[in-house]
Amino acid sequence: MEPKAIFDLLTAHLGEGAAEYRENDIESWACVSVARIADACRFLRDTEGLEFGQLMCLSGIDWDGYDENGKGKSVAILGYEADGTPETSDRVADGELGVAYHLYSHTCDHKFTLRLRFPRDKATVPTVSDIWSTARWHEREAWDLMGIRFEGHPDPRRILLSEDWVGHPLRKDYQMPDQWLNVPLRGQPYANNPFAPADDAPAGDDTPAEG
Amino acid sequence: MATNDTRLTGWADQDHVPGLKSELLELNMGPQHPATHGVLRLLLHTDGEIVYKVTPVVGYLHRCAEKIAEGVDYKQWVVYTDRFDYLGPVTNNHAYVTAVEKLTELEVPARAEHLRVVTAELSRIASHLIALATFGLDMGAWTPLLYCFREREVILNLLERIAGGRMLYNYMVPGGVRYDLPQDNWVSDVLEFVTMLENKKLPDYNTLLTYNKIFIERTSDVAIIDRETAIDYGCTGPVLRGSGVQFDCRRNDPYSIYPQLDFEIPVGKGEMGTVGDCWDRYIVRVREIEQSCRIIRQALEQLPEGPVHAIELKKPVRVPAGAAYSRTEAAKGELGHYIISDGGTKPFRNKVRSCSFCNLQVIEKVGVGQMVSDLVAFVGSLDIVLGEIDR
Amino acid sequence: MEAMYTFFMDKAGMGELGAHITVAAIMASLMFIVMALCAIIFTWMERKVAGFLQSRYGPMRTGRWHGWAQAVADMLKILGKEDIIPAEADKGLFVFAPLLVLLGSLLAWAAIPWAPDFVAADLDLGLFYIFAVSSLVVIGILMAGWASNNKWSLYGAARGAAQMVSYEIPLALAAIPVVMYTGSLNTQDIVIAQQGGIWNWFFLRNPFLFVAFIMYFIASIAETNRGPFDMPETESELVSGYHTEYTGMRFAFFFLAEYANLFLVSMIAVMIFLGGWWSPIPGLDFAPALTFIIKGVIMVFMNMWVRWTLPRVRVDQLMHLCWKVMIPITLICVIGAGLWMMASGAAS
Repeated sequence: MEPKAIFDLLTAHLGEGAAEYRENDIESWACVSVARIADACRFLRDTEGLEFGQLMCLSGIDWDGYDENGKGKSVAILGYEADGTPETSDRVADGELGVAYHLYSHTCDHKFTLRLRFPRDKATVPTVSDIWSTARWHEREAWDLMGIRFEGHPDPRRILLSEDWVGHPLRKDYQMPDQWLNVPLRGQPYANNPFAPADDAPAGDDTPAEG
Repeated sequence: MATNDTRLTGWADQDHVPGLKSELLELNMGPQHPATHGVLRLLLHTDGEIVYKVTPVVGYLHRCAEKIAEGVDYKQWVVYTDRFDYLGPVTNNHAYVTAVEKLTELEVPARAEHLRVVTAELSRIASHLIALATFGLDMGAWTPLLYCFREREVILNLLERIAGGRMLYNYMVPGGVRYDLPQDNWVSDVLEFVTMLENKKLPDYNTLLTYNKIFIERTSDVAIIDRETAIDYGCTGPVLRGSGVQFDCRRNDPYSIYPQLDFEIPVGKGEMGTVGDCWDRYIVRVREIEQSCRIIRQALEQLPEGPVHAIELKKPVRVPAGAAYSRTEAAKGELGHYIISDGGTKPFRNKVRSCSFCNLQVIEKVGVGQMVSDLVAFVGSLDIVLGEIDR
Repeated sequence: MEAMYTFFMDKAGMGELGAHITVAAIMASLMFIVMALCAIIFTWMERKVAGFLQSRYGPMRTGRWHGWAQAVADMLKILGKEDIIPAEADKGLFVFAPLLVLLGSLLAWAAIPWAPDFVAADLDLGLFYIFAVSSLVVIGILMAGWASNNKWSLYGAARGAAQMVSYEIPLALAAIPVVMYTGSLNTQDIVIAQQGGIWNWFFLRNPFLFVAFIMYFIASIAETNRGPFDMPETESELVSGYHTEYTGMRFAFFFLAEYANLFLVSMIAVMIFLGGWWSPIPGLDFAPALTFIIKGVIMVFMNMWVRWTLPRVRVDQLMHLCWKVMIPITLICVIGAGLWMMASGAAS
């Protein structure tokens, strides 16, 4: 089935105003409102003729700094200066966050894309992990790396980073911390190094051994 | 997760031995373990030999390649794709460059497409050889490991002659491949290897391991993933095909020159037990090696002349604004890239949908009720690689 | 043996008790030296056999010719390792376990007949004594697994205990038809009853005895925790099973005990089924001890061949194999061998 036809069935179920269709040569998508996404996904999975049984991919996206005109310079992330100090910028990240759902049906052999956008400070989305079980880990990763909360998720913990990590690395305004559990993260020497030689130790010979 | 919890609480509430307090044994198949293929941690709750809850803990190999993608050029990031599935790296390259080319209007030369397919299929064979070898090793068969590595050594040498690296290649670029064929008889060496693999080595492995009674007893009817569970959990690749679903990105969502090539998609039929057991996933991989040999032979016979890349290697690649999800069949399953470009030379967002990430999740459901030895067999049959899961 | 007793009593002037003690001490040291030698030689042989089966060479450098000194080098290395006892481990049991495991196999070596009239302990209960004493190994394994304070070691120990105790039954049952033929449990008598060339060896005397030989071979692989039955020490699941936490000399004891056990069960197989020290061609018995050892080495090679070819059997399948397959077969062998004996009039 063509994406437009799928979209028409979807709007017929959700009602007017819940979703918009964005046409594109390469990949068209439906822009759904955040409150109705779980409903939309359930409809797409359970309706005969649509039968989207597989969620191929659930991606978290940070739209801050995106150039709608296609002239982006992709410099939205903050990096480091030459001497290792972090770059600072007066610009405060204010772009929206988004989630993209890519669905596939094995029985009907068609694909569909859904996208959400929501403001940065209201980054909560209903979960779809009760619709497709694969979403459990995808949503955990979106929380971990992007900071998007999923309401109703049975196990909302970080998955790829350590439990006590602070921050969400894939955000455009993410600043790498100075250290984590006393491990220096910016190339600076260890503080309180238990293996450092004593101050009055003789200078060692660093040449490699013979043979 | 819900089913696991009721089972756990159900176990704890039962009166197993009257008068004695019983607990499940909490066991850590830790990040350093000979059987978990990489730094994977499995937290098990067991009652004797039966496992009641499996929790995989991943992230020990997380390098945040997706963040790095936003800081480097499209061409430069190909190097990072090698490091995902480091056992079959060329297929990862292929997935990424196909995704980038979907957004651009680059015409990949025919010679480059053929070379891409040949090297990708060689990499797929290399990855499957390791899958067979380590699966046998988990079962206690030490000898097939050495035999498979002997064959993989030949592949690594062939790929070193064309790409320069033994294990990690950085061979493809958006718009073609980096290097043309070496000036020696590479093509005839590949054909000779493929013939030897098909006629002598695979029958050897089948006699030694595949149809061995003990191996069949260990793997048939073990850890059965049925069709609905596989699709629901997003499993792809040999895991999905072992459960009887005929789906292969090379056939169902074709890319490159695969539509012109003639090959079959092996599917698990439950020959030795039930559809979707460990043996089915294993035999799908063995048969895929045979099919890859067919593909390599055809691609080399039809190899046309011409350039090998459509871009200038010294200049950055500029991709017009747009967003697309593109998937290809990597060695372990469906490897997808959702690339969002804003018109610059670096991606705005590059989400990697890796096959092992989705395949591993199924262990939370199917691992319940297995014995510890069967769990080891199950993890071996899923054929996960942590570089891909953690990126 | 008689010569040694008369030597010590007459020539050296000791009393009977003194002669017995001296001879016992000499035999015990000899057994210990042979056991240590066999551990070293079989380690090397295992690595070479494994190498050639896997289409590679194995050790080639230490000692120039096919790496024969590799095992010696390994032993020296192990002796130099740090002895670590885990902090929470039960120290007494931890230290005693490897000794018990070694003891279990070494005690059984006493009743093996190497040559006519050359056996350390000429017991009328020889075969029974061997099977009884080699059960001590089970206790040692359980102690090692428990004392390590490691859940994986406990798994390995529990599996090992279950496996070894179960497989002792088909092991002993397979030996019973032999005892029926010989009419005695004395190990010397069992070997003497097989004189007269290869067709008189017990494994070819009657088809039930041949099946019993196969059953004995399989059960012996399970008794030594090797090959397809190495569940207690599966490297890919339990890291190392019950001897995970052992290092240095203590680990060397387990190692030594494994190869001593391996040679022991091979020698028992040779003794009760393959003719002991008799050569296959009647009349060519000029080096009985050497023949016995060569046959033992051949059986060890068969054991290694099986180990490096076959994958591992799972615990419940292992138990099923023992209780539901091997025990009925061996029982049938016992009955069948008895009936055959009656029918062919060979009952002694």
